[in-house]
Amino acid sequence: MTREETLNELKKVIAPYTVNKEMLAGINDQTDLIRDLKINSANLVDIIIDAEAKYDIEIDYDSADKMINVGSCLDVITEKINQK
Amino acid sequence: MISAGNDIVALKAINITRTKQQNFYRKIITETEKALYDKPFSEGLPFEQFVWLLWTIKESVYKYLQRINPGLIFSPTKIVIGQLDPPSNNTISIFESRGFNDPKVYKGTAEFGAHILYSRSIITEDFIFSVVNHINGFERVMWGIKLIDSSEPDRQSDAVRVFAIAMLSSLFPDAELEIGKSVYGYPVLLKNGDETPVPISLAHHDRYVAYSFQM
Repeated sequence: MTREETLNELKKVIAPYTVNKEMLAGINDQTDLIRDLKINSANLVDIIIDAEAKYDIEIDYDSADKMINVGSCLDVITEKINQK
Repeated sequence: MISAGNDIVALKAINITRTKQQNFYRKIITETEKALYDKPFSEGLPFEQFVWLLWTIKESVYKYLQRINPGLIFSPTKIVIGQLDPPSNNTISIFESRGFNDPKVYKGTAEFGAHILYSRSIITEDFIFSVVNHINGFERVMWGIKLIDSSEPDRQSDAVRVFAIAMLSSLFPDAELEIGKSVYGYPVLLKNGDETPVPISLAHHDRYVAYSFQM
């Protein structure tokens, strides 16, 4: 899976938790989940769980801590996919 | 250092089924903390509310410490709730106050590294609210909780600021007050355009907003 393909899937994971659909369409590595997409922190665990299911991976605590912006989410997901 | 940290979770907005699933709650609470639920205090407290109670305390701890260490990352399982004492009953009718004279609140202790913080939490049928402090006394902590008419993020953000400013204006009657953001993202109180040392924390979830600050 290319980074672009992973990004497109990640958009689907994030979509239920942001009302900022316009920004979601144009997200990049620097897009912050809370500050830019206005995702409530209470939904961050949902996104991690949904990403685990979507990519069939397990995201450990230390990796989950890094998932602050889109770029770090993609890095963690790619790393976990490659470890499979 | 004196700081401020609070959090609120609207119970109608949580996913009860998902919260009860091990793969979900294990991202928030540790095995040691789960054991707290088995103690007598939890009688009558649904497990999903226990999980979100601990979440609000942990998020409050993070907000409190992030002002001191702006590079801090929120890592729920690394903040450990060691003690949680229940109220005698949980019928709360005050939603804006100084301190917590009302005994009907949960009292807890949380550790993160070398830091020990103390918590007070309110649970109603609609929300869970927590606030933390570096000492086990909340006489200098002002807090408030409000139901608003929208869950839209910009509206939440505006409403919680208006709510907090209303209380702050009663304490600084002649000043022009505004709540801005530090470069690190935490809220700062501006008085006549200048940043004040008053630490303030804002929270919102669904249609609930809450503030806390130290005076």
